[in-house]
Amino acid sequence: MTDNDDHVGKPAAVGRRQFLKVAGITTGGVLAAPAILKLASVASAADRTNITFASAKFFGKRTVAEMVDVFNQSQSRILVRYDELPPPSASTEVHQGLVQRLAKKDGSPDVFTQDVVWIAEFAGAGWALPLDEYVTADEAGAYFPGVLAACKWQGKLTALPWYVDSGMLYYRKDLVSSPPETWEQLVAAATDLVKAGKVKIGFSWQAKQAEVLICDLVEFVTSNGGSILGDDGKTVHIADDAAVEAVQFMYDTIEKYKISPPDVRSWDEEPSRTPFTGGDVAFLRNWSYVYSICQDKAASSVVDKVGVAPLPHFEGGKSAACLGGYQYGVNASTKNRDASVEFLKWLSSPETQLLFATELGLAPSRPAVFDSAELGKAQPFMQTLKPVFVGATARPVTPKYSQVSLALQSAVSKAVTNGNVADALKEAKTRLEGIVGT
Amino acid sequence: MTALPSAGLAAGSRRSKRLGRRSRAERWAPLLFLLPAVVTLATVSVYPVLDGMRLSLRNTMLSTQEDEFVGLANYLRLTGDPQFWSAWQHTMLFTAASTLLETLLGMAMAVVLYETFRGRGWVRAAMLVPWAIPTVVTSKMFGWLFDGQHGVVNWLLMQAGLIDGYVNWYGDSRTALLTIIIADVWKTTPFMALLLLAGLQTVPHSLVEAARIDGAGPWQSFWSIRLPLLFTTLLIAGMFRALDAFRIFDLVYVLTGGGPADSTEVLSTLSYKVLFSGLDFGYGSALSAAMFITEAVIALGFGLFIVRRMRRDNG
Repeated sequence: MTDNDDHVGKPAAVGRRQFLKVAGITTGGVLAAPAILKLASVASAADRTNITFASAKFFGKRTVAEMVDVFNQSQSRILVRYDELPPPSASTEVHQGLVQRLAKKDGSPDVFTQDVVWIAEFAGAGWALPLDEYVTADEAGAYFPGVLAACKWQGKLTALPWYVDSGMLYYRKDLVSSPPETWEQLVAAATDLVKAGKVKIGFSWQAKQAEVLICDLVEFVTSNGGSILGDDGKTVHIADDAAVEAVQFMYDTIEKYKISPPDVRSWDEEPSRTPFTGGDVAFLRNWSYVYSICQDKAASSVVDKVGVAPLPHFEGGKSAACLGGYQYGVNASTKNRDASVEFLKWLSSPETQLLFATELGLAPSRPAVFDSAELGKAQPFMQTLKPVFVGATARPVTPKYSQVSLALQSAVSKAVTNGNVADALKEAKTRLEGIVGT
Repeated sequence: MTALPSAGLAAGSRRSKRLGRRSRAERWAPLLFLLPAVVTLATVSVYPVLDGMRLSLRNTMLSTQEDEFVGLANYLRLTGDPQFWSAWQHTMLFTAASTLLETLLGMAMAVVLYETFRGRGWVRAAMLVPWAIPTVVTSKMFGWLFDGQHGVVNWLLMQAGLIDGYVNWYGDSRTALLTIIIADVWKTTPFMALLLLAGLQTVPHSLVEAARIDGAGPWQSFWSIRLPLLFTTLLIAGMFRALDAFRIFDLVYVLTGGGPADSTEVLSTLSYKVLFSGLDFGYGSALSAAMFITEAVIALGFGLFIVRRMRRDNG
């Protein structure tokens, strides 16, 4: 509102032509500022150590490129050049871009960011520098344990957490007093709400044959005490009882309890989100981005009616949230190891994490940063997510994750479509053993 | 066929004897002019195909840095891979169904648009709109039209009393491929209609007129005059369409991602996943080679028909 008042007020007071002139100069100055700053930093580039930083494109109030500039201006020994990859929504392209660069082994990029599911692959290929000697035990303990665990490959720390995201349960706090803690409770609550005609859909989730199906799978299976691969990354547990039960439950939400429409089989994040913000759904499993849409009056009919909680679990199990987010890595063939590590330390420091949170909306991977007053002021919702992220669980850790994921997508899609859960998972087990069991 | 090159060679050697004293530059000039085309084709077409074939005999995997010659191992794995065969079947089914429907509907459209009526120019131009829309946009559009909850298709069918419950079009393994075929038919029929319209215009008007004077009705003159004369065009257009349909990628990728339960997985999406998501270049290349071979067989089938037909037309 105040923005509008400014625009209306100024021309009347100063006259249109003058206003345009001032506005033009100001805009020009603002637009040129980064360029001028860049020139200034390039001038002193010769006596600084040059390193490159490849990262997927993120933006909020500021961009990753601007954050790199913050570092370049904060000191005068290292100059970081930003190598921009596509946005994380084009995950396959980001992955491809990184693999092409890293496979050349020419030391560029020195520092990079990676999706959590690529860590084992990059470490297994010998592209990621082990970071244990640069990160003390105290330092490592300052991250969410699930996130730090995902940064390890064969006991070695080969990545450092950047930001965290995970699956979570959205619920209508105007319809239920407290969020369900078990899947049984969710089924009961959802059935009642649909019967009472309060909502059309009880529970919305994602079963499209895509990566998101694996994220949902990890949550269901882990919350029943099961897993997909063993800790060694080579034994396959997808056909064990706990996993079969969990996948059977995924199918049952559609066909037995009928709290999820058959449409979930073609839904990924957005199609599952739209009926929820339209007010037709009681419970939704999704990522953190949904919250700001819920609160947007132009796009949502459930403003102020939405609560967020950790996902439910099975009787005797523990809530599990599929870990998303990106992590930092250092190129094993970097020619400027000290400078790269220094930049890495800056990137992963609590101050920088806070900056990424307030300026780009990326949730910190250090629990301590959640408690800071600045974060509470800038991103009050993000602060409430801390308990959700504590239970974040990694997807199967193996250098052949992409193939594992494709095989699982095919099998689990069959299971939740045809209902032959045990057969589909047995077949998946055989295929996974062919991929990882060597 | 074999007679042709040798005759050419004989003529060439005779000419070179006659022109023996000509400067070397002049003799090489024609080849020189051909060079850019040959180099371009070789680099963008021949080399990638051959390199793909070479890769299909190796276990090249970008992420694990494996890169060894494995002979026919990838092809052996292919023959025993149920995912490949199901994708192969979906692709063939899609190709056959969409080509057939598009040819039939395109034919009907072409016959209508051939007639003179007011505003024909506008209709002909408007008809091409679906074809001009980027396929990704078409996919998103059909995603909304066929949406299981709020899709207008469900609503219309419901109003007409044809279904008694909303159909979950692309979320059900029984209807997903059908939805994709419908979207493809909507998009590509105009292209077929245009090709066939061009073919119709080559049918001499005098023949149709003569038939009419002899008492043939519109159906008879279509079946006995236009269709036989249009047959070669029909085959060529069908071949183009079939080869194009075989590479179906964008509709599937955007609308279903291959699911549900692999029911819409086609060869292009499968090899994309293996190649660029799994970075398994060896096996992915074997998949592409299998696609290439199938396409070559389809093209050969059509080609034989077309050649036979043309011979008959000319002789």
